[in-house]
Amino acid sequence: MEDCLAKKMEITVSEAEKRTGRNAMNIQETYTAYLIETRAVESQSEGQCAPVDSLWRRYSEFELLRNYLSVTYPHIVVPPLPEKRADFVWHKLSADNMDPDFVERRRIGLENFLLRVASHPILCQDKIFYLFLTQEGGWKEMVNETGFQLKADSRLKALNATFRVKNPDKRFTELKHYSDELQSVISHLLRVRARVADRLYGVYKVHGNYGRVFSEWSAIEKEMGDGLQSAGHHMDVYAASIDDILEEEEHYADQLKEYLFYAEALRAVCRKHELMQYDLEMAAQDLTSKKQQCEELATGTVRTFSLKGMTSKLFGQETPEQREAKLKVLEEQIQEGEEQLKSKNLEGRDFVKSAWADIERFKEQKNHDLKEALISYAVMQISMCKKGIQVWTNAKECFSKM
Amino acid sequence: AAGVPKPLPSSGPKSLREMPHPLATSSSEEMGPALTPSPDLLLPRSIADKDLSLPNGTPVDTSSPASSSSLLNRLQLDDDLDGETRDLFVTVDDPKKHVCTMETYITYRVTTKTTRAEFDLPEYSVRRRYQDFDWLRNKLEESQPTHLIPPLPEKFVVKGVVDRFSEEFVETRRKALDKFLKRITDHPVLSFNEHFNVFLTAKDLNAYKKQGMALLSKMGESVKYVTGGYKLRNRPLEFAAIGEYLDTFSLKLGTIDRIAQRIIKEQLEYLVELREYGPVYSTWGGLEVELSEPLEGVSACIGNCCTALEELSEDMTEDFLPVLREYILYSESMKNVLKKRDQVQAEYEAKLEAVALKKEDRPKVPTDVEKCQDRVECFNADLKADMERWQNNKRQDFRQLLMGMADKNIQYYEKCLTAWESIIPLLQDKPETK
Repeated sequence: MEDCLAKKMEITVSEAEKRTGRNAMNIQETYTAYLIETRAVESQSEGQCAPVDSLWRRYSEFELLRNYLSVTYPHIVVPPLPEKRADFVWHKLSADNMDPDFVERRRIGLENFLLRVASHPILCQDKIFYLFLTQEGGWKEMVNETGFQLKADSRLKALNATFRVKNPDKRFTELKHYSDELQSVISHLLRVRARVADRLYGVYKVHGNYGRVFSEWSAIEKEMGDGLQSAGHHMDVYAASIDDILEEEEHYADQLKEYLFYAEALRAVCRKHELMQYDLEMAAQDLTSKKQQCEELATGTVRTFSLKGMTSKLFGQETPEQREAKLKVLEEQIQEGEEQLKSKNLEGRDFVKSAWADIERFKEQKNHDLKEALISYAVMQISMCKKGIQVWTNAKECFSKM
Repeated sequence: AAGVPKPLPSSGPKSLREMPHPLATSSSEEMGPALTPSPDLLLPRSIADKDLSLPNGTPVDTSSPASSSSLLNRLQLDDDLDGETRDLFVTVDDPKKHVCTMETYITYRVTTKTTRAEFDLPEYSVRRRYQDFDWLRNKLEESQPTHLIPPLPEKFVVKGVVDRFSEEFVETRRKALDKFLKRITDHPVLSFNEHFNVFLTAKDLNAYKKQGMALLSKMGESVKYVTGGYKLRNRPLEFAAIGEYLDTFSLKLGTIDRIAQRIIKEQLEYLVELREYGPVYSTWGGLEVELSEPLEGVSACIGNCCTALEELSEDMTEDFLPVLREYILYSESMKNVLKKRDQVQAEYEAKLEAVALKKEDRPKVPTDVEKCQDRVECFNADLKADMERWQNNKRQDFRQLLMGMADKNIQYYEKCLTAWESIIPLLQDKPETK
């Protein structure tokens, strides 16, 4: 972590701005642009601070960056972006992407993403990432020039591999299982939490009605009037307090969401492993069958049925010269194949080693972050309880003066 | 069979002329001879009498005689029943279910402790069921029409919605019945009512009830102010104000009842979601290693909050709502008393008018018109005194009720606070390095 970018550079996503422009298809659209500000951290900043550099990026550019990183570093659990569309909303929250609260939370999420990447020992060294932060114009072209899209594995290929791979590393199978379960449980949690928030909102708001009726009632009372009136005011305070409480809780929900999306990043690494392993298995299989063919040709025995064998039987045997030529080709192919297999094996082992190192790093990060999230959630609940006690104690005092 | 009904210091059977005004301070001497308990009433001669039993034969357990001599020495009759000079204490408790061939019902134990001379003994313990209370209330309304009679909890319950033998329902009812009797006990006039006395003391109330019916027709015991057909032109300002107050008051209480019900409903829906929420943390904990304990802790914590919330909703349902409804019923019966008063006044004014129209040179007003005037004045006085008492009690009752509501909410939050504070150390705990 000593060399990571985060230590050398201050990064913030400080502003969000609504923009209109023409997209690739020349259609007018509205989108939000985010201001990224960076400043070099002087190890001993006496006197002036380094100047602040800034540039604007929109969400789709962040997506492009992340895609690039995922493809270029398939053995890394790449930090996720905040959600594209508002999900798991409870009724009062807007599902509108242009809603200022959503934009604000997204701004924080994007900043978090950049900081995560900048703190990653490997990712932070990436040139494209650095340019994303520092060079506004022409960045897109540079990313495309890396040709990373060509390296991307097709979804279909990956799915195929998942089903057909025979001997994946057991740890990855377990990890895949874990990330599926994690996704499922966090989704469930977020859904129920949203419903809980909805209901809690209802409970608090109905208390506001006490405010009005106590006020009306106090009008016809003599001695009881003042006590009722002031108690009613506290009921209004109580009803209003839920807005801030639930807004704060959204940050907790966002922390959970990050790990929900992280689960997908974990899955991506497992998929890559499965792909590589499948590729390896296919290559080994291919090599074996070629060696077999070689043997058959050399000895003249046909051990397996083949169309070639049939045709040669039907249309006559090959000439010895033809057989020689074939053998030679096969032997070349086998040699190539063996070298390829060797390098694939090496690749696979390297992948497993480096992926697993990053996964261990990720696990520690996850445990630390989620613990912090749970603590902050408990602190929020404690604060909510204390506010409740305060309000009702105040109300009780008013009632006692009735 | 009971003989002549005891004359009591109320505007009951005695002629109003002979009666001292209820608001006038009364001394023991005036009351003296009238208060010798009638020997003909069915009262147990001895508390140790083992024959005490309910109409259906179930034996009644009676309290052991307390040292009564010291209590008897404190004979003091006072209209003014503050805490120091109180001489009558009534409690309703110990509900018991009775299963008979014809029906199943609940009886409550009514315990009386007193030094009043109207009571033969210093202590009584009888069992009564709801219909007995209902009978008492009707008798009080009949015999004390100028007074505000406290309400009873609702008679009928919606079948299938409420289980009238459930602990919660019985307890809620018991509290309401206890309140009912205590309010009568505190009333300087109602507490001396004969029917009330019998209710508290009679071994066989049903027998008395039957007698009462016969007596009613013979002796014209209840002064029925059913004058019929008289319409009041103008309600006096002060009573109009009371009427308006009661209208607005019961309206506001109705609103508060609806709000409270809505809150309970929302709380229960919140509880449903919380009950699903907590266990998900536990499921998650099962997936994790290092986070297992913290997640389990959060799950347990939410479970504790669920329990606390359940208790809060229960308390509000059992303690808060019934009292609100009681006061709404109270207001309704009070408005009826106001209407009765109006009728008495209307009768008087009509009769007065009739006399004036005759234009005869009568030196004095006919006696029946005078009687009407007295009735009006008495009624007004009783009602005003009761209103004042009612306002005071209402203020105390609502003060207690609303403080209680605040208290329950404070307790709920305190329970939740404790739960969350206790898991902070668990969450911050560093795992042992292996």
